[in-house]
Amino acid sequence: MTKKYGMVIDLKRCIGCHTCEIACKLENDVPMGMYWNRILTEGGKYMDTPKGEYPNVQRGYLPLACQHCENAPCVKVCPVAATYKSEDGRVLINYERCIGCRYCMAACPYNVRVFNWQEPVRIPDFDYGSADTPKRKRGVVEKCSFCEQRVNKGEQPFCVEVCPARARHFGDLNDPTSEVAQLVRARKGEQLLENRGTKPQVYFLR
Amino acid sequence: MFNKRYVNPWTIILTILSLVGLGAWVYQLTHGLIATGMRNIVSWGLYITFFMFFVGLSAGGLIVSSSATVFNIKEFKPVAKPAVLLSITCIIVATLLIFVDIGRPDRILNLVFHPQFDSPLTWDVVVITLYLATSLVYLYNMTRAEPNQRNVKVLSAIALPVAILVHSVTAWIFGLQIARPTWHSALMAPLFVASALDSGLALLLIVLIGLNKFTSFKVEKKLISTLGGLLAVFIAVDVYFVFSEILTALYPGEEQLMGYLTLMLSGSLAPFFWGEIILGAVVPFLILVVPKNRMKSSLMVLASALVVVGVLFKRIWLLFSSLLLPLIGLAPGVTLGAYQMPQTFGKAATPGIWDTVGSYAPTWVELAIVVGVCAFGALIFTVGTYFFLTPVQTAEALPKQGGAVSAT
Repeated sequence: MTKKYGMVIDLKRCIGCHTCEIACKLENDVPMGMYWNRILTEGGKYMDTPKGEYPNVQRGYLPLACQHCENAPCVKVCPVAATYKSEDGRVLINYERCIGCRYCMAACPYNVRVFNWQEPVRIPDFDYGSADTPKRKRGVVEKCSFCEQRVNKGEQPFCVEVCPARARHFGDLNDPTSEVAQLVRARKGEQLLENRGTKPQVYFLR
Repeated sequence: MFNKRYVNPWTIILTILSLVGLGAWVYQLTHGLIATGMRNIVSWGLYITFFMFFVGLSAGGLIVSSSATVFNIKEFKPVAKPAVLLSITCIIVATLLIFVDIGRPDRILNLVFHPQFDSPLTWDVVVITLYLATSLVYLYNMTRAEPNQRNVKVLSAIALPVAILVHSVTAWIFGLQIARPTWHSALMAPLFVASALDSGLALLLIVLIGLNKFTSFKVEKKLISTLGGLLAVFIAVDVYFVFSEILTALYPGEEQLMGYLTLMLSGSLAPFFWGEIILGAVVPFLILVVPKNRMKSSLMVLASALVVVGVLFKRIWLLFSSLLLPLIGLAPGVTLGAYQMPQTFGKAATPGIWDTVGSYAPTWVELAIVVGVCAFGALIFTVGTYFFLTPVQTAEALPKQGGAVSAT
């Protein structure tokens, strides 16, 4: 059976520390003004606002990056096949082919795609990402690739590796003995906006 | 080829505006799309709005003119030539608007070399190419010294369905998106075709009245009046579709969808929504439904202009209603993708890059480019008019009208 890479995020373990967000930015050389991986607050209008009314309050977080959908709307709409579904189930981008039409951004229900509106700005002023992270120029769309440069070498995505709460798990969803498949089974993993039928390969445990 | 009558105040102004637009585009190329008002939540803006608008204007004109031949409506035949010329112009404008919108215009040929046929945008490339080719051959066949009637008939029979298709495909670019609640509707294509019919016919009427006034190309007032009546019918169909669409969305009162509808009916897009309904539909309908009004050129131009602007408003509320609200609207939101190194870096707070709700206003660069592209279209049409509608021979044969031609 072919691989289907996926991720499981345990929201019970997530402490909202944003480590994965920053680690992702560093590993993937993401320029200023954008993130591939965002930690959203499930409470109110501001970061870290708790859910509910005092005294019944609770903090909740939703780490959001590309859902690597099995039925990916962005892959369908790309007119030049710059965004594609790899054999092992990841949604990847060929940054050298992207024409910058931003149709994929309109098609994505999760708003996880970011566009290089300007010449990428970096602080400090050099490419701080890993050496083999694909380069992106002005005028193309980019997003989470499950750290393709790491996974291709058999490593874990960086966000999984750095998570201090061990809330993130990565593996082959098609392998019933894998950690991710077992977690999804045992704890009834939920998908985001399931009713859109995009079949995300990122599961959340509540 | 180059003739003195091409040089006059009108063409000079259009040329200047086109050049200003070209300059703005060069500015955008050097700075990137950061020069526009678009950001990561509202990732499409004025260019795509006008793209939809011009595809509609183009398709509408051609549908009306080719119907004349397909259904053998003799009275409509005199407008076929200007209508096809107008369609060609508008589709060129639409194509240019896509070109200025994309982030990597240098890679535009990827559309040809690596087409991906699941994408409605690829369908649009195919259909627009087919459409442009059909229209050009159609125009060529109609304007030959002795048009071959059989060829014209066959070409019009191809042009009609292709014109309907070109605007339907443009509608499907939006209507097939599951991620966008106000776009995802089976009614999108019929709605777009209805808007194409009324805006395209309205623009054609303005152009016909203009040609009557300024050139030797004449169309009977009675025909213009008949077309005005037809326009009233098209407006009614358009409003009917909009009503059906809004009612279907509104009735279930589903929470998320209501957010988008509130935006349209009473939020930031309300001026455009109600502007379209009242100024773009009700008022021109009331003008056009009275036969006496249709004989007055000034009222016809007013009604037609209102319809054209109304449909432009519709494109605006349609596009932005879905883009403004992300489906997952949790704080702190989406990163907008623009970063300006602040002067106070390290001393004060860094600039906000987040937003939970989108916002958009076109910049002067976008406005200049859109105005420039429109002016370029008007220039193509004007030169086309000299070339195809009022050739020099006519001007020489009729010295009085020839004088009028060179004055335009």
